[in-house]
Amino acid sequence: MKKILTILVLFCVITSCEKDDFCTLNPITPKLVLRFYDNVNKTQLKNVNQLYVWAAGKDSILVNQSTDSISIPLNSIANETVYNFSKGNVVNQFTIQYTPQQIYVSRSCGFKVNFDEVSYISSNTWIADFEVTTITIKNQNAAHVQIFH
Amino acid sequence: MFKYFISIITMFVVAETVAQEQKIDTLSTDKDSIVYKSPYGIRIGIDISKPIKGFIGDSYTGLELVADYRIKKRLFIATEIGFEEETTQEYYTNSTAKGTYIRMGFNYNAYENWLDMNNEIFVGYRYGLSFFEQKINNFTPNVNTSYFPANPIISGQTDNLNSHWSELMVGFKVETFKHFFVSASVSYKVMMFVKEPDNFQTLFSPGFNQIFESGTGFGFNYTLSYLIPFSKK
Repeated sequence: MKKILTILVLFCVITSCEKDDFCTLNPITPKLVLRFYDNVNKTQLKNVNQLYVWAAGKDSILVNQSTDSISIPLNSIANETVYNFSKGNVVNQFTIQYTPQQIYVSRSCGFKVNFDEVSYISSNTWIADFEVTTITIKNQNAAHVQIFH
Repeated sequence: MFKYFISIITMFVVAETVAQEQKIDTLSTDKDSIVYKSPYGIRIGIDISKPIKGFIGDSYTGLELVADYRIKKRLFIATEIGFEEETTQEYYTNSTAKGTYIRMGFNYNAYENWLDMNNEIFVGYRYGLSFFEQKINNFTPNVNTSYFPANPIISGQTDNLNSHWSELMVGFKVETFKHFFVSASVSYKVMMFVKEPDNFQTLFSPGFNQIFESGTGFGFNYTLSYLIPFSKK
């Protein structure tokens, strides 16, 4: 009897402590994905050289990069995020406005944040134009905005 | 002369039948002395593991009453009713489920008792039904960035939910004093239906415990019960 009891208790302890899983769906909250294109030949990707990116009042998250594609986080506790994109010494302010929405995913992942009704304002210094490909940010499989410069 | 013969024969016949009856008598008394009668009745008790679990941690409160009724030598109708309140802390969410439940089914005693003992090693089936509410206390959106950290959001969203399930159990009962039983059992549960809240998930159901991803769960009972005997068979 004692043996059976020990086995039963052990079995219960093991099974009751088991956590379902760890969240493996990262990144769960999508970042904003931008791709940079040539302003003349609008289907041609074009690198931005000496790119610095920072949000208003925060440290840089990209420093002196040369890239045609960036993904940047949005502030989930506000309705807009103001970014500064600097190419060399020219700063272009880029404001993203949206409605954050908390969507439940799973026990281990919790809630993600989707961004609905997204709109953009650009101060158009070195950025000539931009084109919005989607107004809801649910994932980061494809670019949300195409930037022409 | 004839009368004499008949009388003698008759006497023999009588003597023989008396002898036979005596034989049957001794045989049947022998049988009786081998059969031990066991009590039939209703057994009621309380699961003491739940109050203990409530004392140890502050995230749980629960109470469960159990009863079973013997219908055949090895077969018992069994039921449990209870109340549970549990706060589930996950990485990104904190929620509380509370409500009542009932489980009904039967136990089959697979143990061959010695002499007049009334112990059991049993397997059982239960159908469970629970009505409860689940409240999201707070949650932190999973933004996976320290650049714009998210704050915990106090939600308070409360949903009225229900669930029902099947469970298989195995355990034992030991008669420690006359008519007083100590019992332990474990159960494996499979969810048949659970109502899910809007934009959230039912993480815990009273009577079922934590609902795993696959819709399964585990339970443990440690029960003290007392038998009220109605008859002996």
